[in-house]
Amino acid sequence: MVTLDTTAIEDKPTQPAGIRTTRGYRIFQVVNALILTAVIVVTLYPMINILARSFSGDGYIRSGKVNLLPRGFNITTYKAVMTNSMFWVNYRNTVVYTVVATVVAMLLTTVYAYVLSKKDLRGRGVLVGVAVFTMFFSGGLIPNYVLVTSLGLKNSVWAIALPNAISVFNLLVMKAFFEGLPVELEEQAAIDGLNTYGTLWRVVLPLSKAVLATMVLFYAVSFWNSWFAAFLYMDHSDLMPVTVYLRNLIYGSTNATSVGFSEADATAVGANIQAVTIVLTTLPILVVYPFVQRYFVSGVTLGAVKG
Amino acid sequence: MNNISRRSMLVSLGATLGAASLGLAGCSSDGGSDDDKGADLSKNRTDAMDKFGVNEQFKASKPVAFTTLLNDNPGYPEKANWLFWTELAKRTNVTLKPTVVPLSDYENKRSVIIGGGDAPLLLPKTYPGQEAAFVSSGAILAVSDYVDLMPNFKDKLAKWNLQGDLDTVLQDDGKYYVLPGLHEDVWIDYSFAIRTDVLDELGLQIPKTLDELYSVLKAMKAAHPDSYPMTDRWSQPTPGGAMLQTFGQAFGAGYGGGWGYANAAYDSASDKFVLTGAMDQYKAMIAYAQKLVAEKLLDPESFTQTDDQANAKFTSGKSFVISTNAQELVNTYRPGLAKSVPSAKVVKIPVPTGPAGEVKVGLRLENGLMISKKARNSADFVAMMQFVDWLFYSDDGQIFAKWGVEGVTYTRDASGNFHLTNDVDYVGLNPTATKKLNVDFGFSNGNFAYGGSTQLLESTFSQEEKDFQKVMTARKTLPVPPPHPLNADEQEQFSLYEAPLKDYVQQQTLKFILGDRPLSEWDAFKGELKGKNGDQYLSLLNGAYDRFKKAKTGGDKS
Repeated sequence: MVTLDTTAIEDKPTQPAGIRTTRGYRIFQVVNALILTAVIVVTLYPMINILARSFSGDGYIRSGKVNLLPRGFNITTYKAVMTNSMFWVNYRNTVVYTVVATVVAMLLTTVYAYVLSKKDLRGRGVLVGVAVFTMFFSGGLIPNYVLVTSLGLKNSVWAIALPNAISVFNLLVMKAFFEGLPVELEEQAAIDGLNTYGTLWRVVLPLSKAVLATMVLFYAVSFWNSWFAAFLYMDHSDLMPVTVYLRNLIYGSTNATSVGFSEADATAVGANIQAVTIVLTTLPILVVYPFVQRYFVSGVTLGAVKG
Repeated sequence: MNNISRRSMLVSLGATLGAASLGLAGCSSDGGSDDDKGADLSKNRTDAMDKFGVNEQFKASKPVAFTTLLNDNPGYPEKANWLFWTELAKRTNVTLKPTVVPLSDYENKRSVIIGGGDAPLLLPKTYPGQEAAFVSSGAILAVSDYVDLMPNFKDKLAKWNLQGDLDTVLQDDGKYYVLPGLHEDVWIDYSFAIRTDVLDELGLQIPKTLDELYSVLKAMKAAHPDSYPMTDRWSQPTPGGAMLQTFGQAFGAGYGGGWGYANAAYDSASDKFVLTGAMDQYKAMIAYAQKLVAEKLLDPESFTQTDDQANAKFTSGKSFVISTNAQELVNTYRPGLAKSVPSAKVVKIPVPTGPAGEVKVGLRLENGLMISKKARNSADFVAMMQFVDWLFYSDDGQIFAKWGVEGVTYTRDASGNFHLTNDVDYVGLNPTATKKLNVDFGFSNGNFAYGGSTQLLESTFSQEEKDFQKVMTARKTLPVPPPHPLNADEQEQFSLYEAPLKDYVQQQTLKFILGDRPLSEWDAFKGELKGKNGDQYLSLLNGAYDRFKKAKTGGDKS
């Protein structure tokens, strides 16, 4: 099995044995470490703060006393949120929408990119142009809404999956990757009797696991985080993904107390409930990320250098 | 900022598209039942009541369903099994079919679905003024043509003398397109929370006027020289949102500064609109706030900090005065202080008065309802208007929407006071109960329950809030500015001037208050407002006002 590892380039400068590091280099390392530590602290603080809030009492959060450690430690908020049926309904929706949309997106993006990677294909320029055109010009919100509505996609997963099925950026990255594969392999496959689909399925895709993994992650994360399409095309709360639920929870409570809403609206959602919902919503991504982030790094450089 | 521009983009998109579709409709030959007042309603009376009068129970002759948009509040997310829905169907034969939209982005979706021609029949939670963007699209019904179908609405309008308030939502064609919620009296909720234990310690009284507030702060500062006696919140995105509104109104600068700030205020002496930011009263407001900052009585961070930061300063006992409303006093300040300063006592004081005297300003209109134009052609149109009139404007309908079902969610005693039943809670009135009026039953829902008589409004207030309201009710309500409906071109021009002018005034207000700019430059500042199209802005409004006056006198003669 041939594996392509594009991360093989070592970016750590190697030191010849026996030569002592210069003073300047040591200072550089110290400064570097300090700056990076600061970056880590700045990045981690909000996360730890939210985590601490999620275990704290509402009163402590509102009076601004919760920083890195929970005050008034309790897990009743977790129990309260996790027994909220709408939260889980929306959570399930997020999972379903993400899986379906990612599968559809991968299928369409892969076949489109493979076609575009064939340099001798007639009309290839037009096909690329059609895709790239949508990067710069879009139909606009209302025309899109009218289109999706009149196709009868509203209130179904297809309203989310189909309009966002092809991300042009991902498409171009994949095309560049396919172009980098040796043509000889495919010629060999053709000689051995494989048709186009067979070549794609049995030869090209097995060699493209790196790019496939990256694309799956790109799509899955963006579908997991997305809320606008669902918000626009779903008319009932039990169809919403958990991101819309979360957004409403946070925005609703900040505004209810700050813009002078009418009395009936002034029902603030507890700050601890917000925190717990944030933790539970981001948890899957947080848990998976450390194991897959190398694909993200490789994904960014994929196709950057053409072999 | 980003948000606003996106919203306004949506709105204008919606308007453009709607206008296009209106043009198309004009070409088609469906006979056009457009706009003619008193038009033939004989085809639209299916299921309606033959006679429907004030405080009569509406009931459709057979079950009907109307679609509605629903603003979904995360505090009480929509449930299909709410008693509100079932009881409503039982009483009126009407089933509401909601399109549920998260509160966070309600206005965005409303714009898109109106623009996309996909709007439900009823569009609640529309604040007066928001409907203007949709008028030219032709997608919204001119409800003023059909108020004859709404006896309760007309009754309240006459009884509470609301015509002047209602005139503020008139459009250039002399019609209005939103059915606003109607209040019997101006409802003031925002004032200052003050630590009475600190007052007692220093032998001070609760300040009644701005001058007294100044002396109180001064005395507090003398006793606690290291602290700022007052810190403030509600400064994002509008600096001094609640505080400058209160100060400005006390000095008589229109609706005040902060949240209340409007570029134009009506000057009754000259019968013209003037720039609020150039008024002497506005200058007096700035001078007052600037004095507080300069003498270190008011925390200068008040205008930039987040609510959380301000709350933390107040609840940790570092400051003793802060802006409040009834909810925040009970939900934030008291619980917070109880943890850090157990001996603290805090109350919401009656709004301090200023040179303007014992007055209050404000509109008695609340957010309300738009109705889709397509409803007009439905056979059930009359029934729908009667239903809307009953639910939103009849006494029974308002009590039902707010309190629910007698014997199930509430009881009334001999003197007419409302009490929740044992197992039902609302805004902490019945803290031991396990169910909530809005969460579990769907009543007191912001989409359907608002407005009404002062008695109904205050029925959910605590005793101390009722005492506060008693003081406020006794104050005189100033008349609202006269109407000055703009036509479509003017509206466009108006919105071009509006935001830059407002931003500039608020920015400079802040500079004056914080001492970054001396008040001696006031005249220069007034000159700068001209550079921001201040004069053109005023002539637009005054022109529209003159036109309105002429049309009115002309209309009266004919």
